Amino acid sequence: MKKSGVSYAKYGYIFSIPFVVTFIIFSLYPTLYTVVIGFTDLRGLGKTAFKILSDPFENYKIIFANKTFRTSLKNTAIIWTMNFIPQITLALLLTAWFTTRRFYVKAQGAFKVLIYMPNIITAATIAILFNSLFGYPKGPVNDILVRFGWVAKPQNFHLQKWTAKGVVAFIQFWMWYGNSMIVLIAGVLGIDVTLFEAAEIDGANATQIFFRITLPRLKTIVLYVLITSMIGGLQMFDIPKLYLNGGPDNATLTSSAFIYNQAFSGSYLYNRASAASMLVFLIIVVLSVALFLLMRDRDEVKLRRQERALKRRGGVA
Amino acid sequence: MKSLKASTITMKTIIYIVCIFLSILSIFPFWVMIMNATRNTYQIQQSSVALLPGKSLMNNWKILTGKSFNPWVGFFNSMIVSTGTTICAVYFSSLTAYALVAYRWKLRDAFFSFIMAVLMIPAQISGIGFYQFMYRIGWTNSLLPLILPAIAAPAMVFFMRQYLMATLSLDIVASARIDGSGEFRTFNQIILPIMKPAMATQAIFTFVGSWNNLFIPLILLTRQEKYTMPIMVSLLRGDIYKTEYGSVYLGLTLTVLPLFVIYFILSKYIIAGVALGALKE
Amino acid sequence: MKRNMRIVVSMVLIASLAFSLFAGGKAEEAAGKKVINLWSFTDEVPKMMEKFKELNPDFDYEFNTTIIATTDGAYQPALDQALAAGGANAPDIYCAEAAFVLKYTQGDAAHFAAPYKSLGIDVDAKLKEADIAPYTVDIGSRNGELVGLGYQATGGAFIYRRSIAKDVWGTDDPAFVTSKVGPGWDRFFVAAEELARKGYAIISGDGDIWHAIEGSSPQGWIVNDKLFIDPTREDFLDIAKMMLEKGYTNDTQDWGDAWFADMKDAGEKKVFGFFGPAWLINYVMAGNSGGSKPGEGTYGDWAVCEPPVGFFWGGTWVIANDKSPVKDAVGKVIEWITLDSSNTGLQYYWANGTLEGPGGTKDTVASGTVMKKSNGTLDFLGGQNMFDVFVPAGAFATGKNKTQYDETINSYWRDQVSNYANGLKTKAQAIADFKQQVADNLALNI
Repeated sequence: MKKSGVSYAKYGYIFSIPFVVTFIIFSLYPTLYTVVIGFTDLRGLGKTAFKILSDPFENYKIIFANKTFRTSLKNTAIIWTMNFIPQITLALLLTAWFTTRRFYVKAQGAFKVLIYMPNIITAATIAILFNSLFGYPKGPVNDILVRFGWVAKPQNFHLQKWTAKGVVAFIQFWMWYGNSMIVLIAGVLGIDVTLFEAAEIDGANATQIFFRITLPRLKTIVLYVLITSMIGGLQMFDIPKLYLNGGPDNATLTSSAFIYNQAFSGSYLYNRASAASMLVFLIIVVLSVALFLLMRDRDEVKLRRQERALKRRGGVA
Repeated sequence: MKSLKASTITMKTIIYIVCIFLSILSIFPFWVMIMNATRNTYQIQQSSVALLPGKSLMNNWKILTGKSFNPWVGFFNSMIVSTGTTICAVYFSSLTAYALVAYRWKLRDAFFSFIMAVLMIPAQISGIGFYQFMYRIGWTNSLLPLILPAIAAPAMVFFMRQYLMATLSLDIVASARIDGSGEFRTFNQIILPIMKPAMATQAIFTFVGSWNNLFIPLILLTRQEKYTMPIMVSLLRGDIYKTEYGSVYLGLTLTVLPLFVIYFILSKYIIAGVALGALKE
Repeated sequence: MKRNMRIVVSMVLIASLAFSLFAGGKAEEAAGKKVINLWSFTDEVPKMMEKFKELNPDFDYEFNTTIIATTDGAYQPALDQALAAGGANAPDIYCAEAAFVLKYTQGDAAHFAAPYKSLGIDVDAKLKEADIAPYTVDIGSRNGELVGLGYQATGGAFIYRRSIAKDVWGTDDPAFVTSKVGPGWDRFFVAAEELARKGYAIISGDGDIWHAIEGSSPQGWIVNDKLFIDPTREDFLDIAKMMLEKGYTNDTQDWGDAWFADMKDAGEKKVFGFFGPAWLINYVMAGNSGGSKPGEGTYGDWAVCEPPVGFFWGGTWVIANDKSPVKDAVGKVIEWITLDSSNTGLQYYWANGTLEGPGGTKDTVASGTVMKKSNGTLDFLGGQNMFDVFVPAGAFATGKNKTQYDETINSYWRDQVSNYANGLKTKAQAIADFKQQVADNLALNI
């Protein structure tokens, strides 16, 4: 498929220049700084001089063995799963409902607008609100439960590990499912209308249309949602930190909260925080690559293989 | 035909019920926030969740404006930063994504992997390095370092690329070239309109994120005339025993209002039931 | 339409960018004037400066104030950066709250602080003259030299309900109640039992008693570079459990909704008292008592007496930058705030609530001299003069048992205590987990 004559490839480079330049100016130094500190002894406030440790990986070894770190990774995985599965399911469901022409849902616009709203509010406000909502011994949820007689006395939601995890997962779900839904709908809007019209003429019902036409075309966008949710989820920080500060007893401590605590909870262990972030980064990379491979477009891969084979045989351009 | 209609009606009822429930769930915290903006600190301390308004709105407003900062300045600054960030991010991300999709160049895949890698860097620690860097070069108390970094927005580039891969047909580009259009012009006049839903959604997200961003502006902006709205709201929280919660909630409500406006303006691109394909086969 | 919008927005953007750059440039020119850079996390100290200038019309320095709230932990990083960067924008005077003051007076950031002596203040004489509470001096001293002082006194007392005291013991006299609840925790819990028998909770939650225990323990969390659990603090584990089992509290979390509600009797049981300094009375309880004059809610039904053990809670310390180019001026300001015990010193106004005109909120101050000549009677306390109790309470408190890690360590400790008190862990497990958290997050030796 090569185009003969003028090569437009240079525009690929030209158009990417702003991104690269900006990145180098604003992000390269901080990123390199972080990577380097992971191998040094930099800790404590206001210090800028550091030296590379005699055992460069000492920080990594310490973090690896750090019980709290491992707990935080476990928590992150658990809470993320509890958050993401309902989120993507509901988002896909709503997308299906709102983009199926047969179900012309009145006030669809209003619903979409309202459902996205939780994403607008700051995490800090939400954390405070939910903290009060589940307050003990008096709080709205407890009041309702007791009044309707569903429990004998008020429950301390903040003290039990699984309710704490559940609430954090719920808040994350609630803040982001609208976001996912909107992204998916935007993706659907990019699909050619004629495809739907043709399918309807052929007598396909709504489910068939969704699974055979919408979803496959949406694959690239779904991959986007998956990857960004995963990356965002692994970096879950605001809510766990502000809601119960990682409590009770580290039940809601996520990896990002752990890193933050290493750097800011009094000992300013910047070197260990950096090592920990590098470890989390590696985990993210591995998982993302796995996801990419899983969701790769099989047809495109086949096509590319054919191309390469043709080229090797000296075939036609 | 009849059974089809019946099942459609049941589906629609289910849909309506679920949507109404979700809408109430979504509105709930806003309602509480607005209610709290009308109550005074002590009422809020007794019970943070309220469904009925109080009487302290004017009082909270007086406290809010009586502090040593000016909310209008905050609004203006926030507006500059958020608008600038959004425009930079959306435009340049689309440009970069287009480069990744429309052209075949040697470093293309490597570059994409690089962008993904950047995306995966945890945000916090690079935040520390960032503000230390800004202090070192003395670039504090300016709104520029809050806007310019947005030109490189890996998440958005990723999204635009996925979107373009799904919706762009290179024939359009080819026909534009035949018509004699330069590459840049093709991008601005033909590609961008195709990307409207994508741009609108990402614009909303970026604007919201930038508007609500507290930490980096808080550290970089120390002069009062440069404060953004979230900074001003955080100033209302003094020592834990002196926080004026009523005014805090009022401040929070005011901070959220512009977001609603922007959201409503941009959301028509998402609500529109008409697909925006560019090719008529 | 869209194109015009884009043009308009870009023009606005360009204009404002130019504006902000321009404005940044202008500020540099003003550096020639006499300026004092003041950093604070509330507008308390900046407001004091207005009064200072009013009293000293020929003080021709301008105050360049930077206020960054401590929420989201943003004050300290910014302050640290500004101190480290130095130069014309570095703080000349900066404030530190009790939660993190040790870092700036004795810990990692202490080298930025200027000894008060070097500011032209006759420290020894002034300290004696003003009769400053010793704990404030302890906290503000670096190797014996005074580098920071607080203006507020935050020595704690026991604040109790008059009507409940009368109901259980027949009298609400402060001296009597003092002897009932102390000295020492044993007597306190005897009183708790007597109150419980009549259906009252002695305090709202275990957090109330923790501040007193923490503040009065002989040694702090770090001894000889190792984590150390003082026996009085370790006792808190069992105390918390016991109070829960015997129903001495309403099991509230301090600063939670239910804790505030207990101040106006809206909890499950009526609560007898709270532990706290004067600011708890004036800034927290008064508003939450369900009324604003005697007879409404619990307003007017309170009194203060000495606590079973001495402690302090909170406060703001004022520190000067050792590299400040305007040390004389800074010295004058700081002396006025912290060591001036005359009737025109800040503390006199602060104590009597007359800083911004008559009728403001009264508060206890660091200077005993000032409190002795000030009027601390409050309607909220049924006409009692709060200074009578808070002056000796300040002498009780000690600052020798604090470390710069306290905020974090305390939060881990209370988390574990909560787990143990509610039966979710054994005592040994709770202590082990506590040590693990401290080691993992603070890299301290256990």
